[in-house]
Amino acid sequence: MSVRGAAIVAAVEPALSVPAVSPADAESREWLQALRAGGAERDEAVARLHTLLLRAARFEVARRRPTLPHMRGGDLDDIANQAADDALMSVLRRLDDFRGASRFSTWAYKFALYEAAVKLRKRAWQGREVPVEPEAWGLFAGSGLEPEAEAEQGELLETLKSAIDSVLTQHQRRVLVALALNGVPIDVLAERLNTTRGALYKTLHDARRKLRDHLIERGLALASLEDR
Amino acid sequence: MERPDLKQSFGRLLGPEGPEVGCDVCFDELDRYVELEVAGADADAAIPGLRAHLDGCSACREEHDSLHALVRGDQAL
Repeated sequence: MSVRGAAIVAAVEPALSVPAVSPADAESREWLQALRAGGAERDEAVARLHTLLLRAARFEVARRRPTLPHMRGGDLDDIANQAADDALMSVLRRLDDFRGASRFSTWAYKFALYEAAVKLRKRAWQGREVPVEPEAWGLFAGSGLEPEAEAEQGELLETLKSAIDSVLTQHQRRVLVALALNGVPIDVLAERLNTTRGALYKTLHDARRKLRDHLIERGLALASLEDR
Repeated sequence: MERPDLKQSFGRLLGPEGPEVGCDVCFDELDRYVELEVAGADADAAIPGLRAHLDGCSACREEHDSLHALVRGDQAL
């Protein structure tokens, strides 16, 4: 365990309350019992948990490594360790949230994968400006379509572009363009706008709903468009 | 002509058609959903709206895919 991880262990007290539902599998029950114990038993369980989380964080780093050619192996392992430390803190704080709907290891893994993924997305965009004006309309180019289909698609696209400018609020437009058109990771935009992933996704969802309703009101066939 | 990139582009812009959960519910339910999937159970019937969210949120989808691969790898050991 890292020095930072050890400090986390000391800062987070064992959870005192007992979960309403006991996990079905023996391994999960053993995890909970040991993490709620005191002294050496808990210390040993926390160290094992950190190992488990570090394994998940390194798994995530390895999956994303091909998309991060500019990052050195040492930097990536630092990120995995930081992710495991932060995940350990989250798991210990939220121990009472575990209801046994999955195995404890699966529940714990998701915290490490989340922490590693967020850190890597942010690192990849470090120092880069976040584009909030449309940059990727070329992806919608109709080359290769039959003339009639291309004309139909052109009408749909013009209606969509117009709706983005006229139907959405300024905030909805910025969020939709950055996330859905320009490919900015949601965690990166959340950090720049000082908000959360969940709040941003709600904005994106509302913007998408407005655009869909706008197209339907004009009799434009979304299903055929999406099947192309 | 088949244009999968065009379909993906419209999909990203307009999002899933049906009801979906948000990112916070997705995170809370992700471990249960993945274990049901790996077990071959009907995860979508058990947790309605989560698949639609994964279709609409690339960050949650990436984390789902990683958890799925990690759990499946554990079970193969």
